[in-house]
Amino acid sequence: MNGWILAATVALGTGLGTALWGVATGPLRRRVVAQNMSTALACPALLLLSQGYARPSYVDLALVLALLGPVGTLVFARLLADDLADDPPRAWGVTWVVAGFGAVVVGAVCAATGPSPEMVKLLVIGALLIGGNVLASRALSGGFPGAGRG
Amino acid sequence: MNRRTTLLLAAEALAWWCALAALWLVLISTVDTLERVVGASVAGVAALAATAARRVVSAR
Repeated sequence: MNGWILAATVALGTGLGTALWGVATGPLRRRVVAQNMSTALACPALLLLSQGYARPSYVDLALVLALLGPVGTLVFARLLADDLADDPPRAWGVTWVVAGFGAVVVGAVCAATGPSPEMVKLLVIGALLIGGNVLASRALSGGFPGAGRG
Repeated sequence: MNRRTTLLLAAEALAWWCALAALWLVLISTVDTLERVVGASVAGVAALAATAARRVVSAR
């Protein structure tokens, strides 16, 4: 057990646990936000685990999650657009806290990696993670009027 | 489609190709000739798809 694995355990245990609780209970507006946050928390946790276990292949998993997580949320945002229109979720506090956590994790793993192509890869993952989740949160809160009708 | 729009489309596809090929080079672990050839090819296919998709979206 090192510091990286400990941080990943805390992130998975508290963060993902809370997100799963939010997905399983409460009104729809809370469930979609929690679903969005679950991938945003699992991705930094995978980066921490890849550093902790010294397995670079875990980074690819984080890349896929950073790309597909927000895409999944966009599908929910479109399919549930009518249900969410009356009572749209406003979760900017949670969104920015989770985005900040992602930025801190990417920064720490970058510092441990040092300047190399792997560091650029981590920065790409960080940009996809934060940009994707801010975009997905905006879509959930009705920030793209007309997009639901295509 | 006149000459100007053709040139603009070609420039856009080239810009996509540059960005996607650079992304490929960053994401692979070992850079050798085969990887370069495969990366240039798939970046070309993806650049054409991205240009076509953007045309469809902006035409709506």
